[in-house]
Amino acid sequence: MTNTHLIQANGVNKVFPNGCHALKNVSLNINRGEVVVIIGPSGSGKSTFLRTLNQLESISAGDITIDGVDLTDKHTNINKVREEVGMVFQSFNLFPHKTALGNVMLAPVKVRRQAKAEAEQDARDLLYRVGLHDRIDSYPSRLSGGQQQRVAIARSLAMKPKVLLFDEPTSALDPEMVGEVLDVMKSLASDGMTMVVVTHEMGFAREVADRVVFMEDGELVFEETPERFFDSSHPRLQRFLGQVL
Amino acid sequence: MQTLSSRWVGHGLYLVIMAALISGVYIAGQKINYTWHWERLWPYVINTEAQDIVAISDGTAVIDAKGTLSIAPDFGGDPQIVSEYDQLVAREGDLIFQGDTIARIEGWRFGPIAEGLWVTIKLSCLALIFSIVLGVLFGLMRVAQGQVWRNLAVTYVEVIRGTPLLVQIFIVYFFIGTVFDLDRFTAGVAALSIFTGAYVAEIVRAGIQSVSPGQMEAARSLGMNYTQAMIYVVMPQALKRTLPPLAGQFINLIKDSSLVSVISITDLTKAGREVVSGSFAPFEVWFTVAGLYLLVTGVLSWAIQRLEKRLAASD
Repeated sequence: MTNTHLIQANGVNKVFPNGCHALKNVSLNINRGEVVVIIGPSGSGKSTFLRTLNQLESISAGDITIDGVDLTDKHTNINKVREEVGMVFQSFNLFPHKTALGNVMLAPVKVRRQAKAEAEQDARDLLYRVGLHDRIDSYPSRLSGGQQQRVAIARSLAMKPKVLLFDEPTSALDPEMVGEVLDVMKSLASDGMTMVVVTHEMGFAREVADRVVFMEDGELVFEETPERFFDSSHPRLQRFLGQVL
Repeated sequence: MQTLSSRWVGHGLYLVIMAALISGVYIAGQKINYTWHWERLWPYVINTEAQDIVAISDGTAVIDAKGTLSIAPDFGGDPQIVSEYDQLVAREGDLIFQGDTIARIEGWRFGPIAEGLWVTIKLSCLALIFSIVLGVLFGLMRVAQGQVWRNLAVTYVEVIRGTPLLVQIFIVYFFIGTVFDLDRFTAGVAALSIFTGAYVAEIVRAGIQSVSPGQMEAARSLGMNYTQAMIYVVMPQALKRTLPPLAGQFINLIKDSSLVSVISITDLTKAGREVVSGSFAPFEVWFTVAGLYLLVTGVLSWAIQRLEKRLAASD
């Protein structure tokens, strides 16, 4: 019953032009509504793997299927796929020339051809949902890091994606702002959003994840439910957890 | 308060220095025994002298009861009728020869300097628009994925930046102008646009490359295609950063437009040269021409500063 998986990655390999072999035979299936957290030391390929899921990074070998669409097929319109796969970046990447509202509205209006008034109402609702209804007309430069990241999450949600990818969403934040972003992510998870999260927040992994994946040196070393994951005696995992906890 | 008062001291010092400089120039002007005739210049800017109305052909003057003057030609044909004038020169029954002044009319018209200024403004505005089009086009090609586009853009920029504008104007006028049968003005606009376009292309390229790659990634991850991401996300940010260097380039364009006088376009500079030989007032003419250039560049510079301020809302 492999068709029930929303995301299927099979034997994914990525070799960068400089010869760096960043992903080695990574295979991972993700179900609808599942929250998968990927952890691992820096340079382990976890961000690269995440970026292959919306083809910000092309792959050298293997195949990835999202909701039945083969990303490696030359006839696949990658822009259509990306409409369904939201992404939240470590450095927020908000559009600095647009207000919070403008950031959230832009893609629905320009890509989905949604009517402006309707898109604005949706954007207001989303900003309310991430707790920023009072900062709607603020430009990103006037928002704190945590607020910017919440706008970025609202911006991704505005496209009503089937899956959200988080690339170290809290790593660029001051410690006191990590909580507000994680809270938004927790509420998304409890609403049934399919999420793939690269993070160093072990607490989030333990509390929210359905599955935790450990990557090292471009390999997917180990995947387990959080309870078993953090109690595992896998030597490479133990070494890593010993360093971060 | 220290900074505020020192600022006023600075302003005051500036005024003193400027006054010293200007009076220096004035005294120098007196010393060289040059007689200034600013009043001679005026008719070349706006001419308020009465205009002569001249006879088109030989004939006899006839003035009717209403005062309308008509010249009945000696060798048949329609008479020349002059009904609007302020002063009659010809009298009833006079024998008139072709080219004679028959009447005068009051009024004003633009002199050669004003007309030259208008040509310079027209030339600069058209070249500015075309150079933006060329510059954005080649700037985008410079950062495009396809190697062929990048090669083409590099060739354009290097060839145009590597040759003098004066030579380009001659080539456009004598070679391209002959092939495509262009008039002087079109050739002048084309040469200026192509020249400035190369510099604008480099400015646009630098602007696009200064926008963080994360912006393009964020736009693409929302499902925008490359063109949409460029139009809605990258270019607006790039434009804002390129405004100061663009302002400099467009000011250069206005000044460079003076070079088109070499292909006999009567722009402000050529008008100045012609007026000097007619008025014998070279100092006055060149100071005026310089002042008019300064006026045009000043207006442009002010307009771009306004635009910059408006775009600064998101800072």
